[in-house]
Amino acid sequence: MRALAAFFGDLRVQRRVVGAIMMRDLVTRWGRRNLGFAWLFCEPLIFAFPVIAVWSYVRAPFEHGLPMVAFVWTGYMPLLIFRHVTGLSLLSLRANSALLYHRQVTPLDLFLGRQGLEALGNLASVVVSFFAIYVIGALDLPYNYPLMLFGFLYTAWWSLCIGMLLAALSERSELVAHIWQPIGYLYIFFSGFFVLAEWLPTKLRVIALAIDPPLHCYEMVRGGYFGPQMHAYYNIPYLTFLLTVLTLIGLWLMRDVRHHVELE
Amino acid sequence: MIQVRDLCKDYYSETGKRVNRVLSNISFSLMPGEKLALLGRNGAGKSTLIRLVSGAELPTEGSVERTMSVSWPVGLSGGVGGTMTGNDNIRFIARIYGRPFREMREYVEDFAQLGKFLSEPVRTYSTGMRARLNFALSLAVDFDCYLIDEIIMVGDPRFQRRSQEELFERRARRSLILASHVPQIVKEYCSRALVMHRGRGKVFDDVDLAISIYEGL
Repeated sequence: MRALAAFFGDLRVQRRVVGAIMMRDLVTRWGRRNLGFAWLFCEPLIFAFPVIAVWSYVRAPFEHGLPMVAFVWTGYMPLLIFRHVTGLSLLSLRANSALLYHRQVTPLDLFLGRQGLEALGNLASVVVSFFAIYVIGALDLPYNYPLMLFGFLYTAWWSLCIGMLLAALSERSELVAHIWQPIGYLYIFFSGFFVLAEWLPTKLRVIALAIDPPLHCYEMVRGGYFGPQMHAYYNIPYLTFLLTVLTLIGLWLMRDVRHHVELE
Repeated sequence: MIQVRDLCKDYYSETGKRVNRVLSNISFSLMPGEKLALLGRNGAGKSTLIRLVSGAELPTEGSVERTMSVSWPVGLSGGVGGTMTGNDNIRFIARIYGRPFREMREYVEDFAQLGKFLSEPVRTYSTGMRARLNFALSLAVDFDCYLIDEIIMVGDPRFQRRSQEELFERRARRSLILASHVPQIVKEYCSRALVMHRGRGKVFDDVDLAISIYEGL
């Protein structure tokens, strides 16, 4: 009983600390001038609009029977979430190590504060960009809102898992940062940005779905958007299982990363 | 109280091959209200010891047990952000320590005397103003024990006088661990001293003796 009370007490402290780090990050990254923290969800749009515009111009208006703008939008927004969350993560603990002078601030809090805020901002920009493109008539309303929403939420969870592994491992070895650069670029090929699972040969599809969590996320986003225009392959319990395992590994690495972060 | 047992701290050298033992087998305890001086030349391990006692870094071996609230090293920036205003920084500290912002702001305003600069970004502050803000922030949270790393000497003489008054007179019942090179301060306020040399340390109950040993190092 007392252990439980202590646990919830700790949880309250952690929530307070993570909230404080998020507020701090809002101020340090965007300040109070001009748009202020509205940049949080405007920034991704600056990337998204030109890319979507160019892509939909150079490609045919339909690909495999799917409208091009929608295909690129559902491909690019999850990629942005992943890129932004993981991009922040390399050596991110070292960069904020001065905050560790406050005993109640843990490396996990630093991670949840910064990368959590980044994930939230990117999710917000999904909503904003959707309406902006919908208003100009280039996107239709999604067929299945909950499925698309879950697709984006799982994308954020997946990105946070990889971000946590990168944050914890890059403090241990410099190799991680070097290896990550090419992998980060290659990600667009194996994430599901360019392909639907249904376009893959059956054998490859089974393997891909077994080992590639982002493919499930993409299938959910696109299945939610396109509905019966495509056949979506995803398995939510299996994806949840994979991401839970990754989360546990990440938390375990985070727990003793403190030995590897030196304070200035 | 604070109980430090057989504390050791190793740092790896840049190439990762050599291990530098910065602290080795330090033990002491600190009762509520007690004031302990850390004496030692530069590089003796005082700052490392303070970081370990504060909990900012973890020991390689040994343990630190705290049954009273312990400050972060007083006067250290502790993540005071340059793009943040003085008020932002107060708000951040108030949030993570769960203190009311208004009270903390009043205290810092009164103590650091930064006036309208509190609503300016900290990067526009002079070194002295920054030190005053940092110092005020650590005193604004009420701790049972304060850790001080040679900071008594910040600011102009007037600010020094006020900080000493604030620390040693208004907080006379609080515990202190004080790393200082100034014998008068140690003699006047500390009841025991830990003399450190090359990562090792010994506690003396006789402060005068400790000082003479330190001066002979």
